Amino acid sequence: MQIEVRLFATYREIVGEGQLAWTLRDGTTVGQLLEAVLTKYPRLLGHRSSMLLVVNHEVVRSDAVLREGDEVALLPPVSGGDR
Amino acid sequence: MIEIQRNRIDVGSVVDSVRRDDAGAIVVFLGTVRSDPDVRALDYEVYKPMALRMLTELVERAREKFGVLELSIVHRAGRVPVGGDSVVIACAAAHRSEAFAACAWVMDEVKRIVPIWKTESGPAKRRARRP
Repeated sequence: MQIEVRLFATYREIVGEGQLAWTLRDGTTVGQLLEAVLTKYPRLLGHRSSMLLVVNHEVVRSDAVLREGDEVALLPPVSGGDR
Repeated sequence: MIEIQRNRIDVGSVVDSVRRDDAGAIVVFLGTVRSDPDVRALDYEVYKPMALRMLTELVERAREKFGVLELSIVHRAGRVPVGGDSVVIACAAAHRSEAFAACAWVMDEVKRIVPIWKTESGPAKRRARRP
């Protein structure tokens, strides 16, 4: 199945693109996809613990199963800032 | 009114969008780009469909939590020069205490959870991320 991976801010700069097309076997979880992305782009490894996993604009756990056409986004921490 | 836009925010229209006869207070917050050494502008990167969904949820939560009557949030995407408005929030309530509280809460939540990232832009500081 085909899914789309979106990357933002620091992650987009590391990978060099904001959008990747990824082919996966049926039943693949977000966590398994993340492992594949990290293997291909090892410079993302240091960001793993602060990465937010999102599918179709909703935050998910790494065991969420992906479906054809899903849009996965790997989000860095948002800007935050002082109050 | 919930919008993410690349062009300048018309503050007056945001305020007008929350006016109601049963409101006794409208609180308006402007987030503006602050000058720092070597900073000429901030670049805002937004995951727009998710950000719009989260802003809509924030408005609903603010209605339930504070009993506000109307709430509008407009955020910039792209480059905003020093002194420009990057976000405008207008909140109408029957009384000022709810309007102040809701406006402050919403802005904190926007900063905390909405997928918007900013990068400083300037002659010597091209790609520094601002926390």
